[in-house]
Amino acid sequence: MDNVENHSQQSGPMRTLQIVSRVAAGVLGGWSFTWGFVVLGIALALAAGMPYADAQTLLYLVAFLVYLVVFCWSFAAASIARVWLVLLGGGAAMTGLGWWMARLQAV
Amino acid sequence: MFSTFRLSMTWLHTWFGLVLGYVLIVVFFFGSLSVFDREIDRWAIPETRFAPQPMPSFDTMLAPIFARMAPEPDELKAAAARVKGPLPATLAPMNWGAYTTHRDPVLSLYAEYAVPNNPADPDDHVHGHATLDPRNGRLLPDDQLKIGSEFFYPMHYGLNLAWKDLGYWIVGFAALVMLAALVSGVVIHRRLFRELFTFRPRKHVQRSTLDLHNLTGVVALPFHFMFALTGLTVFASIYLPVSETLLKPQAVAAAMADAAAKGLPFKPAGVQAPLASVDAMVVEAKRRWAARGMPGEVGYLYVNHVGDRNSTVTLYRAGSDRVTLVGQPIHFEGSTGRVLLEEPSPSAVASVNDFLTGLHLQHFEHWLLRWFYVFGGLCGCACIATGFIFFVEKRKRQHAKAGTGGARWADAVAVATVTGMLVATLAILVANRLLPADLAQRGDWEKAAFWGAWVLAAAHALWRSAPVRDARLSSAWAEQCSAVAALAFAAVALNWITTGDHLVRTLAERFWPVAGLDLALLVVGMIAGAAALALRRRAGAAIAKSDPAASTVDAAEAANA
Repeated sequence: MDNVENHSQQSGPMRTLQIVSRVAAGVLGGWSFTWGFVVLGIALALAAGMPYADAQTLLYLVAFLVYLVVFCWSFAAASIARVWLVLLGGGAAMTGLGWWMARLQAV
Repeated sequence: MFSTFRLSMTWLHTWFGLVLGYVLIVVFFFGSLSVFDREIDRWAIPETRFAPQPMPSFDTMLAPIFARMAPEPDELKAAAARVKGPLPATLAPMNWGAYTTHRDPVLSLYAEYAVPNNPADPDDHVHGHATLDPRNGRLLPDDQLKIGSEFFYPMHYGLNLAWKDLGYWIVGFAALVMLAALVSGVVIHRRLFRELFTFRPRKHVQRSTLDLHNLTGVVALPFHFMFALTGLTVFASIYLPVSETLLKPQAVAAAMADAAAKGLPFKPAGVQAPLASVDAMVVEAKRRWAARGMPGEVGYLYVNHVGDRNSTVTLYRAGSDRVTLVGQPIHFEGSTGRVLLEEPSPSAVASVNDFLTGLHLQHFEHWLLRWFYVFGGLCGCACIATGFIFFVEKRKRQHAKAGTGGARWADAVAVATVTGMLVATLAILVANRLLPADLAQRGDWEKAAFWGAWVLAAAHALWRSAPVRDARLSSAWAEQCSAVAALAFAAVALNWITTGDHLVRTLAERFWPVAGLDLALLVVGMIAGAAALALRRRAGAAIAKSDPAASTVDAAEAANA
């Protein structure tokens, strides 16, 4: 196996900052994205006529696979800025859209 | 940051694997023990060493005991601080529950009591619980710790860190990292099939460790993946609480509509009414289950809105004959005993979820399959432990030359989590047999023995880790292996001395809960003893041949690994 430490392009505080940013993006950004995915997914399933309990269960079954994919992607992606944008921006957009859609349902 | 996909996955695998591996090995180990949590309870509470019992009569035995039950004193104290004015002298019960499994000689009773006058939470409540000997209706002392089901099992999913659900979150994150480690591990290694058949124990430590790491990871790969994933979905509502926050209006509306559609009262009527014969309801439930082609016993009995005209009794079937976790619940009207609803078969989504949950929680009665779970869990432990050793072996010479302490720290924490965890686990069993039976808060002392032993083991691991600085093996590994062996043999001996249940007797009586744990302890003791001997021999040989030529060969071989 290759020795990863020797492959870094930067060194010192710059690299530390990069790592902190990647880890935070994967963990926190990934969670936000997953949250948004679940909210929007439940709203869509409700709109399609699925009972609430089933919608929630279905999204919970998929949620952690989504989290897993975006978590791994946040380390594999070339641009950390894009990772943050997609995860936080996407998470916020899906949360907002899902919340709005769910409110439209007759309560 | 990383030039290739594979390098990014290697970084992820190495560093998340190391840091969260310290948590994951705890989760895997106590998960493995939880497969036999009820059996460990029997070992730890000798007066419950008798055969599993069915649900006893509610009308004659459980009803008077439920009526006598009271909220937990410490919960009452905490509740008093939350409410306006003083708490009433007695709190009214909201619901009662009784739970048993095919492995439980004793019955667990639960109750919830309404806490009035909390301005912040109109649904505020406190809990009460009791443990019953169903043969004679005798209550067991409350401070007896069920080490298996009340300490090792919560350790598995929450590390016994109750504050703000912190333990759940740490374990949940570790589970996500386990999934990521499996994905990245497959990306790094690629030759998955070959690794199933590769173990070269006579090669250099670093090579053999990596072989074993890959082997244990790959051989149980589906097990590791499914258990990490289903562990997350079981607690998904904690990690992603959408229905308590953003979508609460929709969730509450759905729950109320569901209750209305089923004809089940969502709230109490506020009018008192007595409870009809629950035993008659049990007879009817068993008849209906049998009519559906799945005869069975009652596993869980639940009375909602206790004492109210709207009270309901729900009977769940004990699902020990299948993997999927379904209870075929039947709801009765409490005041009349009339069937309100026989719940229909679950929906497709719910069926998948019930199966995955059942797969993880293994309530089924299939001893071979249960042992497979232990095997899978211990494979996970071996995979993680060898991961630690590989991490240290790969770096310790480099770090020794550079004079940095990274490998030493990683190794010390690895000793503390691998062998230290075993020391702590055995210490609580030994303490359980040594502490006087009438000691007040005995369970708290047992927990103190567990955490105290673990802290001592961690301190010892750190103190003895100096040799790693010189690229040698920490002496803590061998010493803690010896401690594990001594504690394991001591636990078996103490069980014999304090209860008279030695292996010859328990094996002759085929009382597997105690015989099985004693045998497992003996095996652990022998393996740990052999490991201690082998490590000492290796350390002796290393010192004998500590000429520079040998270490150069080592380093060259390490670089090739």
